[in-house]
Amino acid sequence: MARARKWDWTAILLMSPSFAIFLALLVLPIIVVLVLSFGERAEAGGYEAAFTLAQYANLPARWAAFRNTLSLAPTGTILCLLAAYPLAYFLAVKASPRSKLLLLILVIVPFWTSFLIRTYAWIFILGGKGIPALLDWVGIPDVRLINTPFAVLLGIVYAYLPLMVFPIFVSLEKLDKRLLEASEDLGASPWATFRQVTLPLSAPGVATGCMLVFILLMGEYLIPALLGGGKVFFIGNALVDLFLQSRNWPFGSAVAVSLVAIMLVTVTLYLRLTLNRRGFRDQSMV
Amino acid sequence: MRLYAFCIYIFLYTPLAIIALFSFSAGRSASDFHGFSLQWYETAANNRLVKEALMNSLLVAFTSSALATLFGTAAAIMLPRVKGVARILFDGLTYVAIMVPGIVIGISTLIALVTAFNVINPQILAFWPGDPATAPQLGLGFGSLICAHSLFAMALIIVIVRARLMGMDRSLIEASMDLYADPWGTFRQITFPQILPGILAGFLLSFTFSLDDYVIASFVAGSRVTLPIYVFASIRRGVTPEINAIGTAVLVVSLIMLIGSQFLLRRGQKPAT
Amino acid sequence: MIDPRKEFMAQLRRYQMGSVSRRHFLGVTGLGTAMAVMGAAMPGLLPRKAYAGNIGDKVSLATWPNYHDPKDFEKFKELTGADVEVSVFGSNEEFLAKLQAGGTGWDVFVPTNYTVSTHADLGLIEPLDLAKIPNYDIAAQDAKLIGEGTVKGTVYGAAKDWGTTGFAVNTAKVKENPTTWKEFWDLTRGAYSGRVTVHDYQLTTIGNALKYYGYSFNSNDEKELADAEKLLLEAKPHLFAITSDYQPAFRNGDAWLGICWTGDGKQLHRDIPEIIYVLGKEGGEVWTDFYAIPKSAPNREGGYALVNFLLDPAVNATEVQFHGQPSTDSRTNKLLPPEMLNDPIMYPAADLLSALEFGSAATFTNPARAEILARFKAA
Repeated sequence: MARARKWDWTAILLMSPSFAIFLALLVLPIIVVLVLSFGERAEAGGYEAAFTLAQYANLPARWAAFRNTLSLAPTGTILCLLAAYPLAYFLAVKASPRSKLLLLILVIVPFWTSFLIRTYAWIFILGGKGIPALLDWVGIPDVRLINTPFAVLLGIVYAYLPLMVFPIFVSLEKLDKRLLEASEDLGASPWATFRQVTLPLSAPGVATGCMLVFILLMGEYLIPALLGGGKVFFIGNALVDLFLQSRNWPFGSAVAVSLVAIMLVTVTLYLRLTLNRRGFRDQSMV
Repeated sequence: MRLYAFCIYIFLYTPLAIIALFSFSAGRSASDFHGFSLQWYETAANNRLVKEALMNSLLVAFTSSALATLFGTAAAIMLPRVKGVARILFDGLTYVAIMVPGIVIGISTLIALVTAFNVINPQILAFWPGDPATAPQLGLGFGSLICAHSLFAMALIIVIVRARLMGMDRSLIEASMDLYADPWGTFRQITFPQILPGILAGFLLSFTFSLDDYVIASFVAGSRVTLPIYVFASIRRGVTPEINAIGTAVLVVSLIMLIGSQFLLRRGQKPAT
Repeated sequence: MIDPRKEFMAQLRRYQMGSVSRRHFLGVTGLGTAMAVMGAAMPGLLPRKAYAGNIGDKVSLATWPNYHDPKDFEKFKELTGADVEVSVFGSNEEFLAKLQAGGTGWDVFVPTNYTVSTHADLGLIEPLDLAKIPNYDIAAQDAKLIGEGTVKGTVYGAAKDWGTTGFAVNTAKVKENPTTWKEFWDLTRGAYSGRVTVHDYQLTTIGNALKYYGYSFNSNDEKELADAEKLLLEAKPHLFAITSDYQPAFRNGDAWLGICWTGDGKQLHRDIPEIIYVLGKEGGEVWTDFYAIPKSAPNREGGYALVNFLLDPAVNATEVQFHGQPSTDSRTNKLLPPEMLNDPIMYPAADLLSALEFGSAATFTNPARAEILARFKAA
């Protein structure tokens, strides 16, 4: 059915700058990386035009980095959730309305300071003159904390806690307190109330928080580099090394393409599974 | 529960307190405290490199978040009028822009821009009327950094403003239309005040994102030194309390900005309630 | 015979009339060194904008951490009006990768000997116009050390300084007094597990693992590299960190033993005397860093001016005293305090030096070595 199309010039005009930015800075780079990933490493490093699947076939050479990321990212997310949930619950349900806003702002403030400087503080705290010195003083000698997977996880929880607290707080805040009272009146134990009322109602917040943290962790590079002493190796670190050390751009591109593909698949699946309520996705991103 | 919350706050604030404490140390090393002094604030304030890095960072953060806010808001407002394939494409791009890790953005933007420079620069040279030595040549620097930062910031703002628009009361717009207000008048008097807090929040978020970014900047900033790049280099070198002084100053400034923005947001919300 | 006073006046007149450059005038009259020495003491004495030609207001330098005295950049600014924009990097691979990608905006950078030919072959750096670096007097350099700055007869790099790669030992904690790479790796997997650092790039980390077996530092032999990889993988769980920025870890008392460059060894020893610098008896690396100018330098003249300034023996001497790497320039050495020239960290005994090898370009660019390092880091 042929229908005369009316062009909405205002919309086209106002949308074109953002569309142009997407094209130039997102689509073009993705195309370039895709093209590179089918190429070959030039003799002296860099890229040489070719069409080969060799780079993708070589992916198992970075299996360790993928394995580390795919295990540490969910672990970090879950730890963040475990640390954040009680705090969000406290803020939303238990804290007095007067102190609530202040306490909430206090959660965000560290997030607004320089990430590098916060992480640097942990280098000092976990390093020889920090907690280990303190433990040594009370009689527990020779504790090593810095440059361990523990330090990396701690850095992750510290850095991303606010991102988890906030959405959970928002969803718990919307929760009608009378539901909790009703549940108690009906003789439900606090645990049963929590499991049957609070938890399901806070699920959207939990889902959003987990997704935000998970996305950031999949591409994490700085925290393992600073707190892991170069020994804890994520895909992000493998990527940086492939571009800046081995100068194997085609292989680096193949790793980047795979990382983005893995993220697109997991996150889309995750969204489908958890957030199938209409219009929820928009809110979830905020 | 209360105790747990208290512990979390201790966890959140101990590192910041330590940074602040050592910024007042009189010693040369950032790991031993040697008496109270303000000398590192003076050192930092007089350090040309710090000042320059700060100015560079502010310039990039302001420009990129202003561009992102302008284009992102325009797109978010027009988005409901776009249907079909174009809409799916645009939503998909926004989604991908938010999700792609910074490290991938940094590397791929670097390669794409440099590839583009290699095509464009010889053209400029070929068509340059004057002395070839004076012909402008594209390279990495503020421009590339601002572009790379605007991408993520713009996607963020599109999402935030759109969420705000969706939460908006449609009946107000309909009422305005019924009263024969033209679309621009409706936008100016009804829509804009309602989404303003979202726009401001988006601007502020992109501003801090840009101000704090090391990963993308380390790839596309060329020879430019931003504050995070300076801080990273200092951490590598072994640190004097100068870094602590910078960190504490940044903390205080962000606190002021945060309180200021809360104030603005609340004022912005008033007409809506 | 020429009357020196008349000659001086003649030169002064020519200088005033502009037929000789200021530098030539100062050079022939011997005032240059005197001024430089006085200038080093009192920067205010030096006239502003003393450099001929316009070098812009910014020169961009890509270099290594802790490698320049910031005061010298201030002096450069006084002299020329140009700020020096400094970015620091941790490996030669990174220099090469960024230049290969392009658009860096660097005017000068500091590659190590074994990378100069690769940069030159790829057309990334330009042959140096030595007329613009009168302070780089090749005759005054130690010929043994500057060879690789010249590629196929063309000078691409002006030597900055040289040094060795050994290991730092905190003697307050490490009592065994290790003097060989064999002991280094054995102690790593033994008594000092968790206290050892190695570099975060392949050349020295693999090279010094090869030394454990007595192989060449530059070996690209498959079997020998496999042995080195096995040693590295065994050592990995015992390392404190894989990093080229190990000074903070040593200063903080976390690391007690680690692969180390001369300058870092000197700086650590200067501040913490119990940290000493040791060259493995089996050998290891000797290196020279060169100033080079990228083909893509936006401010080429500024780059040359900065190199020339930093290679002025008086300036270079202050630099050496700051970073602790020995100079290749005999004129600079004359200006150094004698205790520095007798310092075994900076100027090791001849028998230790003779066992050392310069890294080679083939070692640097070998992709197999890069993969070994990646496997080592990911393990």
